[in-house]
Amino acid sequence: MPDGAKPVLDVRGLQTVFRTRAGDVHAVNSVSFHLEPGELLGVVGESGSGKSVTMMSLIGLLPMPPAEVLAGEVMLGDVDILKVTPDQLRDIRGRRIGFVFQDPMTSLNPVYNIGNQVAEPLRRHMGMNKSQARARAIELLELVGIPDAERRLADYPHQFSGGMRQRVMIAIALACDPEVLIADEPTTALDVTIQAQIIELVKELRTKLGMAIVWITHDLGVIAGIADRVLVMYGGQVVEQAPVKELFANPQHPYTRALLKTIPSVTGQRETRLRVIEGQPPIMGAAPVACPFMPRCAHAFSRCGAENPQRRAIGAGRVGYGHDVACHWDAKTGGPADA
Amino acid sequence: MLDAKPAKKLVEVKDLKMYFPIHSGLLRRHTGDVKAVDGLSFDIFEGETLGLVGESGCGKSTVGRALLRLYELTSGSVTIGDEDIAKLSPEKLRTKRPMMQMVFQDPQACLNPRMTVAAIIAEPLDEHTKLSADEKLEKVYELMDAVGLNRAFANRYPHAFSGGQRQRIGIARALALNPKFIVCDEPIAALDVSIQAQVVNLLEDLQEQYGLTYLFISHDLSMVRHIADRVAVMYLGRIAELSPREPLYADPLHPYAKALLSAVPDPDPERESGRKRIILQGDVPSPSNPPKGCNFCTRCPEVIPICHEVKPDLAEVRPGRFVACHLVKPDNNTAAGSTGLAEDFEYNQQGEPKQ
Repeated sequence: MPDGAKPVLDVRGLQTVFRTRAGDVHAVNSVSFHLEPGELLGVVGESGSGKSVTMMSLIGLLPMPPAEVLAGEVMLGDVDILKVTPDQLRDIRGRRIGFVFQDPMTSLNPVYNIGNQVAEPLRRHMGMNKSQARARAIELLELVGIPDAERRLADYPHQFSGGMRQRVMIAIALACDPEVLIADEPTTALDVTIQAQIIELVKELRTKLGMAIVWITHDLGVIAGIADRVLVMYGGQVVEQAPVKELFANPQHPYTRALLKTIPSVTGQRETRLRVIEGQPPIMGAAPVACPFMPRCAHAFSRCGAENPQRRAIGAGRVGYGHDVACHWDAKTGGPADA
Repeated sequence: MLDAKPAKKLVEVKDLKMYFPIHSGLLRRHTGDVKAVDGLSFDIFEGETLGLVGESGCGKSTVGRALLRLYELTSGSVTIGDEDIAKLSPEKLRTKRPMMQMVFQDPQACLNPRMTVAAIIAEPLDEHTKLSADEKLEKVYELMDAVGLNRAFANRYPHAFSGGQRQRIGIARALALNPKFIVCDEPIAALDVSIQAQVVNLLEDLQEQYGLTYLFISHDLSMVRHIADRVAVMYLGRIAELSPREPLYADPLHPYAKALLSAVPDPDPERESGRKRIILQGDVPSPSNPPKGCNFCTRCPEVIPICHEVKPDLAEVRPGRFVACHLVKPDNNTAAGSTGLAEDFEYNQQGEPKQ
């Protein structure tokens, strides 16, 4: 990525907690990343790693309370969307940032037909009248590959299959030609052959429309095929960030390295025994004072328990551009990294 | 493996059909059937793991449940050991239950939230054995050790455990009666990536330790490649291809198996960019109204006219490899004097003996 192009989205020091009766959960801890124009940023992590909460909190989709965004700024162009009024935020959501959710079964309203739901953002944000919105809705449904789009406008979500519903969701997200599309596990609920269809569709739409995409997933295989750059999240923070080929060829963080070894593949050499990461992912009951991966890390040493590592650049470039990792251990030397 | 004993069939399934009736109209008349499983025949050999893969709705879970007769079969036979369990009376069936067990997909839903771990694991013992309370507790502790649960947690309730640990409780319960055959129905689908490997390794260790035979149902083709000896690929209630693991993944023969394998993303950007992907058009047809001819004919990229007319039978086209497709013809040199199933299994194991 060229260093210097103005990012479409720039997130700095985002911190989100959930205040629950059982105590606070620090779901997101000072997460920073940026999104270049036209780029596809993959975000990987296990459940509870904070990847969805990060994206939900930056566009104000978390229920507050119990959630609370404690700190951070989210620059969309020149606007800090954490500071705008709810009305302004409504103008941004759907218009400048599109969202595709994981579960296509529950994210469409069952009592409105598809035509209504695709036309809604067009009428709300683009000021179109009914017939304009209808014409555009047909175009959009054709764009995402729904056959016989005009007739299907009158159909209800239950008349569509899972893959087709996800296409409808993508059509809605794309309706107002947003600058940023956030896709939260868009293919997780789908079968592999349908997942392949959706991935091809997104690749095709990217070249056609040129928007920037954040693609959240737990599936490293999907990331390998689609992303330009990857954020790896663990315990509510970014532990590693790199261009996709660099990440898979030269992983630095012990978590990333272990994760890449635990997943089997359908091609290549078959492992006779799977490597495992012992232990459980953490529940962040307090703001981290130590590295969240320490209890499961094979390379942990005293400093890991005393100090939560900051992201440091690997090789040339600065943090956030190029390759960086949040770890006290140096994968190259196999010893402690310089402070 | 020249000195290997010929593998023994443990489970033999013949023409298994499982239809669920559709009742509609005011009088709730029987108007059709969902043909969830439509004529399946296969064997599972002692000590092996048969992977059963397919997309949602293809009937793979129904097969697993039908094999243990959790459903009353529409037709067909399931022989486990030497008895056709499809025809046993309920009392007889109960006495056979200890040898066949199941591990379920959702570790949250399959454990009673009001029972302690010890009570959950001991429940099969209460039902089927006459052990004293002390003996039962001893057995529960043994099982907890075997699956890697700390004995100190025996009196806790399921909610106190994580998903991976709950799955271990489910596995311990399945093991309690020393079964021979375990159906694992998507045992890792609900778990995180880093936990999946832990559970799969545990299942493999237990298989070796207790000489278990698994039917491993999953939609995760890469995990099935890891754990299974042979793999059956299902599509819309029928087996498309049943092959030993390595040849299937290296060179799938059925067009659906090809498409399915090519659709699995590869966690390696270099390999991924060089792969040719077969994108199937459309969705799976409804099992209540499967297409005439081959079930896959509506989406098959290589479809020919006969596919719309005649359902292909599952036939052995290479030693040990069974394919149901008009396009895949048996090799001349193997088809005629084709080997029996037992020998095929030896072939499957070649190069990678189990011991």
